[in-house]
Amino acid sequence: MATSTIILKTEALRKTFKVGFWGRQVTALEGLDLEVRQGEVFGFLGPNGAGKTTTLKILMGLIYPTSGQAWLFGKPIGDRDSKARLGFLPESPYFYDYLTGAEFLRFYGDLFGLSVSVVNRRIGELLELVGMTHARDLQLRKFSKGMLQRIGIAQALINDPELVVLDEPMSGLDPIGRKEIRDLILRLKEEGKTIFFSSHILHDAEMLCDRVSILVKGRLVAMGRVSDLIGADSTHSIEVLVEGLGSDGLAQVKPLTEKVTVTGDRALLILKGQQSVNEVLERIRTAKAKLISLTPHNSSLEDLFIRQVREQRGEE
Amino acid sequence: MRVFQPAMRISLLWCCAGLLLGIVVLIQLKLEQHSGGRIAKLEQLRLLPRGEVLRPALLGYHHVGADFLWLRVVQVLGDRVVRDQDYEWLYHALDVITTLDPKYVYAYEAGGTVLAELAARVDLSNQLLEKGLAPNPNSWQIPFKLGFNHFFHLNNYRRAADYLAQAARVPGEFPIGPPLYTARLAARLYAQGNNPDVALEFLAGMLDQTTDEKIRGQLMRRIKRVSLERDLQMLERAVQQFVETRDTRPPSLAKLVEAGLLAQIPHEPYGGEYRLDSATGDVTSSTHSERMRVYRSSDSMASEGDPE
Amino acid sequence: MIARILSISLNSFRENLREKLLYNLLIFALLMIGSSILLSRITIGDYHRLILDIGLASINLFGVLIAIFVGIGLVSKEIDRKTIYTIVSKPIPRYAFLLGKYFGLVITLLANTAVMVLGLLVVLYVMDVPITGLFFQSIGLIFLELMVITAVALLFSTFTSSTLSAIFTLGIYVIGHMSGDLKELAKKLDEISQAIINVVYYVLPNLERFNLKGHVIHGLDFGASDMALTISYGLTYAGLLLLLAGIIFQRRDFQ
Repeated sequence: MATSTIILKTEALRKTFKVGFWGRQVTALEGLDLEVRQGEVFGFLGPNGAGKTTTLKILMGLIYPTSGQAWLFGKPIGDRDSKARLGFLPESPYFYDYLTGAEFLRFYGDLFGLSVSVVNRRIGELLELVGMTHARDLQLRKFSKGMLQRIGIAQALINDPELVVLDEPMSGLDPIGRKEIRDLILRLKEEGKTIFFSSHILHDAEMLCDRVSILVKGRLVAMGRVSDLIGADSTHSIEVLVEGLGSDGLAQVKPLTEKVTVTGDRALLILKGQQSVNEVLERIRTAKAKLISLTPHNSSLEDLFIRQVREQRGEE
Repeated sequence: MRVFQPAMRISLLWCCAGLLLGIVVLIQLKLEQHSGGRIAKLEQLRLLPRGEVLRPALLGYHHVGADFLWLRVVQVLGDRVVRDQDYEWLYHALDVITTLDPKYVYAYEAGGTVLAELAARVDLSNQLLEKGLAPNPNSWQIPFKLGFNHFFHLNNYRRAADYLAQAARVPGEFPIGPPLYTARLAARLYAQGNNPDVALEFLAGMLDQTTDEKIRGQLMRRIKRVSLERDLQMLERAVQQFVETRDTRPPSLAKLVEAGLLAQIPHEPYGGEYRLDSATGDVTSSTHSERMRVYRSSDSMASEGDPE
Repeated sequence: MIARILSISLNSFRENLREKLLYNLLIFALLMIGSSILLSRITIGDYHRLILDIGLASINLFGVLIAIFVGIGLVSKEIDRKTIYTIVSKPIPRYAFLLGKYFGLVITLLANTAVMVLGLLVVLYVMDVPITGLFFQSIGLIFLELMVITAVALLFSTFTSSTLSAIFTLGIYVIGHMSGDLKELAKKLDEISQAIINVVYYVLPNLERFNLKGHVIHGLDFGASDMALTISYGLTYAGLLLLLAGIIFQRRDFQ
């Protein structure tokens, strides 16, 4: 997959906004280089205000870059043919709430110039896909947030696009809603679609993405496979929670741990690496303490993310 | 192909916009030649709702409304060919204006003058002016003008004198108060309404107050005509005196001067000459054969119009 | 492309139909037209004129109000509610969106005007007022005026907030009806003021051109060539406004 065609590419993309009465310049994006390949799920990550939405807006032709270039399907953005192969779900979308689910999808189908029969077929398929067949004749204003998000994704898929761009598809949803969206993304991936989505929820991204990039303050700070990014500086740790260890036991265990936090009768031990686990467990057993839990803590995208954000902020 | 908007296309569109603007202006010009924009304007004045209705609709801006309407009236008047039937709307417009702003003295005064002098609608003029009397007790112009109307157009000296006296009572110095001669004019009107000298004084006063060229012309014509009458009356008096003292009719007007009854024979204001019929003793003008009966009759309530 | 513009128009029309303002204004207009029957009972003399006066004025005024207050929200509402994001990212040019919205409101106005005209026709029929061809000419030009005003509102709403658009559009409406008089007044002013007023007169829409109400009431003829010129004036002007709106809209960032 890594060798497949590049479907989305940006080069030194830069965007500044004028804000306020005096037109103060604010830089939202500082020379962004991105590459998304065909068939992958690409996570575009960053804290709020990092410039993710700005980037997506540029790619969708909603705003114009101050400088730099971008291509979709090898053509400069704004090209109508490439827009026809694209599906987009904006962040926290508000839709025409007076339309019913089916009318809503039909409207967007018409905008793509699809024939009536194709639109009818797609409406059925998509409502099925996003699990909204029951909402076919329900007005959008009666939809819940999760339903809106799902019909929004259906809208983005009406033209059977090759590339699906989703802006914060999981934000504001409950855990079940998020799982549904995750499943949906994986299904789309199975169908061979390329998915490019922005998120600040890293857990989801970690589970879904082939590759991610991390954007902080308009700058790209990391880009690559999740495993590569985490592996590069992975530091596994193990958390052990024990009860009734006593001060003797604690003294026994302490040299083997990195950090100990005592809360009443309980103690949280943080171990560095696998090698001392057995030894620690042995000592707990001899101290006749009760083992509550043992959690292997893989270094996650989140750690990487937090580190990167801190580094960036520290620089300033 | 770049991500930026092609500058060429945008400037092309601007050119199109310029072109369209040009077409728009052209059509405007064409339309202007076509239909008289004037008709539409007159229509609007005619369509004006009544002042009582308009006033609340202006939500407190009725003074501005009055000004705006007045400007319209003035500009429509400014370059119009006078057509009698059109003065109905003028009166209507003035009525609306003065209802919106009952203290708009100038509108009464100028409107009254135009209606009487240019439109020959003394009835409408008086109606308008009388409406202005009550709300404007400190205006001498309105009663002065009413006096003028009654004197010249209706030949009602008594009422003319009443109005002039009312004007004369307005306190203040000219131009806030009335001109000094107003009181004297009123007094003379009471005494000898049919004396052309009084008329001439009144006309001179009126001329003083008028700036509009059309109306000034009108007044000046009137002054000429009354001067002719005054001269004829003066000559007739001299002939009368000649007959009384010498028991014979004078053979010529020059004899009157020789007899010391006249300082000189006045110039005929229209450039003609005065003639004496030595057989009958009648004095006539070579330019006007008719006489202004108003000034001959001793009845000051004469109501016939005077020929011009 | 026309089909896509049409589907935006129809969507916009649907949206407009949900505006409460629209119904309020419509009901008010119909009440006004209906009330002319009552007024004609208390007037003396020419009640034909009164009914025509009030009827045409109501259709015009309420049409203008709808055009302005719905028109200013056409684009800005889509931007505020971010619905425009889903549309601009589709393979349709921005001008098509703009045209779609414009014709959506034009359809709305057409429906509204039709209702109001129908109401007036009923009143005219009941009151036995003769209906002339001039009456329909006048309605046609009123509608043309609404089209121009809608285009003005649309132009402003492509680059300012709803409130400012409303103020600007109202301003253009008022000046558009006064510019002819201003030009006449200017004849008495100095040359610079004259030049300025002439520019205003020729560049801003002269809405008085679409006013045939006086003609209808007084039965004055409005020739076919005048009608043709006026129609081409209105359409060209609306076209110019839409083109300008398109140029501005094309360059705009949707924040």
